[in-house]
Amino acid sequence: MSPEFSDKVKKQVQDILAHYPEKKAALLPVLHVAQQEFGFIGEDTERMVAALLDIKPVQVREVVTFYTMYNRKPVGKYHIQVCSNLSCSLLGGAGLLDFLLKKLNIGLGETTKDKKFTISTVECLGACEQAPCMMVNFDYYGDLDEEKIDKILDNLK
Amino acid sequence: MEEKLLTKLFEIKDSFTIDVYLKHDGYKAVEKAFQEMNPESILAEVKNANLRGRGGAGFPAGVKWGFVPKGVDKPKYLCVNADEGEPGTIKDRYIMTHNPHLLLEGILIASYCVGINTAYIYIRGEYENVALGLEKAIAEANAKGYLGKNILNSGFDCQIYVHRGAGAYICGEETALLESLEGKRGNPRLKPPFPALVGLFQSPTVINNIETLSNVPKIILNGAETFVQTGLPKDGGTRIFGVSGMVKKPGIYEMPVGTNLKEIIFELAGGMKDGKTLKAVIPGGMSAPILTADEIDINMDFDSLAEAKSMLGSAAIIVIDEDTSILDVLKIVTKFYSHESCGQCTPCRIGTKWINKTVQRIADGQGKIEDIDNIKRLAKNILGKTLCPLGDAAALPILSIVNKFRQEIESYIGN
Amino acid sequence: MVKIFIDEKPFEVEEGITVFTAAEQAGIEIPHLCYHPAFAPEGTCRMCLVEIEGVPKLELSCATVVRDGMKVSTNNERVVEARKGVLEFLLADHPMDCPICDQAGDCKLQDYYEKYGMFESRYSENKEKREKKRKIGQTLIHDQERCVLCRRCVRFTREITKTHELGVFERGVHAEISILEDGPVNNKYSGNLAEICPVGAITDLDFRFQTRSWFLKSGDSICPLCSRGCSITIDSHKGFSHFKVPKRVYRIQSRRNENINGFWICDIGRYGYGYINENRLEQILLKNEQNEAMDWEKALKILSEKMKKVHPMDRSSGAVLILNPWLTNEELFLIKKFLIENQEFENVYLIDIPDGEGDDFLITTERSPNKRGLQELGLKAKSLSSDKLPEKIKLVLAFTPPNIDSAGSASVKAVFDKAETKILFASNKNDLSDVSDMVFPTAVIAEKSGSLINIDGVLQNFSPALEALGDSRPEWQILVEMAKEIDINHKYYDQFSSPETILQEIRKEISDFGKKSD
Ligand SMILES: Cc1cc2nc3c(=O)[nH]c(=O)nc-3n(C[C@H](O)[C@H](O)[C@H](O)COP(=O)(O)O)c2cc1C
Ligand code: SF4
Ligand code: SF4
Ligand code: SF4
Ligand code: FES
Ligand code: FES
Repeated sequence: MSPEFSDKVKKQVQDILAHYPEKKAALLPVLHVAQQEFGFIGEDTERMVAALLDIKPVQVREVVTFYTMYNRKPVGKYHIQVCSNLSCSLLGGAGLLDFLLKKLNIGLGETTKDKKFTISTVECLGACEQAPCMMVNFDYYGDLDEEKIDKILDNLK
Repeated sequence: MEEKLLTKLFEIKDSFTIDVYLKHDGYKAVEKAFQEMNPESILAEVKNANLRGRGGAGFPAGVKWGFVPKGVDKPKYLCVNADEGEPGTIKDRYIMTHNPHLLLEGILIASYCVGINTAYIYIRGEYENVALGLEKAIAEANAKGYLGKNILNSGFDCQIYVHRGAGAYICGEETALLESLEGKRGNPRLKPPFPALVGLFQSPTVINNIETLSNVPKIILNGAETFVQTGLPKDGGTRIFGVSGMVKKPGIYEMPVGTNLKEIIFELAGGMKDGKTLKAVIPGGMSAPILTADEIDINMDFDSLAEAKSMLGSAAIIVIDEDTSILDVLKIVTKFYSHESCGQCTPCRIGTKWINKTVQRIADGQGKIEDIDNIKRLAKNILGKTLCPLGDAAALPILSIVNKFRQEIESYIGN
Repeated sequence: MVKIFIDEKPFEVEEGITVFTAAEQAGIEIPHLCYHPAFAPEGTCRMCLVEIEGVPKLELSCATVVRDGMKVSTNNERVVEARKGVLEFLLADHPMDCPICDQAGDCKLQDYYEKYGMFESRYSENKEKREKKRKIGQTLIHDQERCVLCRRCVRFTREITKTHELGVFERGVHAEISILEDGPVNNKYSGNLAEICPVGAITDLDFRFQTRSWFLKSGDSICPLCSRGCSITIDSHKGFSHFKVPKRVYRIQSRRNENINGFWICDIGRYGYGYINENRLEQILLKNEQNEAMDWEKALKILSEKMKKVHPMDRSSGAVLILNPWLTNEELFLIKKFLIENQEFENVYLIDIPDGEGDDFLITTERSPNKRGLQELGLKAKSLSSDKLPEKIKLVLAFTPPNIDSAGSASVKAVFDKAETKILFASNKNDLSDVSDMVFPTAVIAEKSGSLINIDGVLQNFSPALEALGDSRPEWQILVEMAKEIDINHKYYDQFSSPETILQEIRKEISDFGKKSD
């Protein structure tokens, strides 16, 4: 079944479209909305978005695969992205990544069996003063250590 | 001494609201600009202030605005660069979260000066929560009549939209940003034509960094003369230095342009963390060539750092300690650029990955002594030969690391 | 005009052109991969860097516009070093197996490597593994490992066909040219992709591994398959002395012509060359005299006897002439002068070639090359399929096109069935060749010279891209010989030693012939 936006989301998309003189310019924001809705951008979603913006599906694919934030496959309820850039690494980011992977018993880029967590690395999040840091969905967590990570995960239901 | 031009309100509770902002001279500069000045005199003021771009390249903002042609019948656009992807850089986020109205006011004055009615804030996708805050601030400004139609009865209309990126460092490069805003891959454009003539939607476009524009209200309110009293005559005002890495007090420090790097690290940021020894400093975001511990007695301005063959860039200071292997630094630097290369031009696409693989191989204990010269040769084959500055941004730090830490790298290579 | 110096030599060049174009006009080739004159420069391959005096960085020749007094070095040490550097990058992940690559001999990367490189690769990392053999269209194979990401192919589907099948997916070193799972390249111009790919990344199944490009001889011609008349080159194999090769023509490619087809041809024209190779008539055939070897002289004598037998008074009702829109202007003119005016054939018919689907780019609905020529010569012909035939037919001379379909040959057959003497002029065997009294083998457009007028009224001259096959001859030559044999005014035909001489004669009579292009 091909995905469809709910009426509320359709309204949201209309608002976005009004920001630009060209429909196509709304592609990135509309993909964000789609990902919010469906959790990932599958082929069907690509086609739907292409139709919505009067562009070709291939143009959507070009964009979806260029930007790291669009997931082409479903991810866990909580997508944990651990910063692997310099400031975070200087302060032990790599060790914390290992800690997380062990704790959740998955490999990098994988999702836990209960579909709750996916872990990946990410380049500098722009929060280097809180290094080491990570992002869970859109929330930032900084000044991490193992204890703090334990607490954060405990709070993610 | 910290000099708080932009960060003054940050400590105040609810500094992000329009009410607090208005209580502290908020939107006074717009009023002055609309009522007492005209586009020409605003431009003159910004030019006289020698406000240099805070995004990285340091191009004078007034000169940039002046490039936009007058009397074209196309709409013109302002793109506000909030991509903040340069590793180490954190300053724009602080402005947007703590004092978004300062930014909006700057955008408004710049737009009025150049004759722009639509501005887009291109914000990196990860800053979703920051973007929501900005949208709230925009709504507040709209409600109070500082945005929208016929602002303050001036007859001038202006609207600001927040546009989210989606995870691509290259979209901080101004022409990649334009492509991305148009709904495409973030492939930098060939120049000329320059964005001032052919930019967003084929129209004349100004691209400025968040911090650059946030300086504008102060320049208008207090005058260029006051502005240049802080900082240097040819490089006026303050910089918000972001300090991270192995220091006691990482964070942002707003200081006059030209403040000494050593002072920033050892006085403001509290010096080395956990009693570690300083090894090296990246002074202007990852693209800036590295400085060794004995090179840090240097003033943080464009010219001084250029003289030291590094750069001020986004004024993001990353402090590296002796216990960190330089190979790890090189690995992270090369991984970053090969990951972020848009891939359209040959030397950057292939060269960054090649170097990264070699560094990884050395780190895996498979290095050969000739690898070091080969890395240098490859970096030089990237340098100056790519379509956009990312190639140089990758090659220069790599070269600086290999040149300055050659011995250490050799020590990781067995015979 | 501006004056520039390229490699220290002065040149006067047009304002506004790029350094690359200026050099090209001066006969200096600058290595390039992404630049293609059909598209705006994208400046991505970085092969075309040159040094410009006073500019610190090397500049892109493909995107830099000439300035008066500019001094360009295209080949000094610094430029060559940079070029080698870029080449080394391009070859890092590229398979080094030209001998087994289909593009070998036709590949820019191989050319440049041989010219600037032949260096040992200092690449000691693991090569990136990529998909080697993906079918991306009916006739197209894509090899990701050989792709240099010049994006010519993507731009083609984006800007020329506007069909958007191809895109660049992923980024950085993982960037690749691809199609969607359910969206193969499917347009009427797809074959151009193999042609514009500068390396062996997109190859054409029709050509792939059939032969080696260095065995082929290229000749220029015009595509006769619709009335656009695209400029083409025909690559053919002469065969080896010891064994036969399976084909004569191996491929057709487009030839740049700004007035007609730009850089492109359609797939109909590209792949529709079977008629040049297959079912060709190579000998003169004379019914009932199978074993007699026929040479042209003898055959034409027999023909003239047969024609003379038909009394001139009979010719208006008893003789039929069947023409087709593949005949060149020169041939049609000779037919008009000799057969219609002198020999008084009054029953002139034209074989109807059915229309096909046209588009708003190159392909025309009219699927024959010279309807305009017929019109401009004022040749009036009835439709063979819809107009009435004479009651009695003594003699029919039929010129059939190579691609005559069953309806077309049936309409000619209807005439033949009524006629006493049936003479066929044809390049390919068809339903009529077995029932004719005489068959004269003719050359196809690819094998002859002459001119055609296309749909827009543009007259185009062409020369043979191939030699005529066996005993076949171009119709104009046959007609001149026939006229010399039969026409009382035979001296008139002595002047026609070539199609050019015939065209001159046409222009004496119709001064603006072929000049009415709109
Ligand atoms: C690879 C690359 C990344 C960049 N990233 C940013 C960025 O994140 N933010 C920014 O303001 N400028 C960035 N820039 C600089 C912009 O291209 C541009 O110069 C700047 O936004 C202009 O604004 P300014 O003159 O106010 O500094 C980047 C440049 C390059 C080459
Ligand atoms: S230098 Fe790198 S990022 Fe810039 S255009 Fe070339 S490949 Fe893209
Ligand atoms: S397939 Fe050929 S034309 Fe297309 S990008 Fe690759 S090398 Fe260029
Ligand atoms: S458009 Fe017509 S003339 Fe051109 S290649 Fe196709 S069939 Fe031949
Ligand atoms: S390095 Fe981790 S947030 Fe910047
Ligand atoms: S030909 Fe000029 S960059 Fe490719």
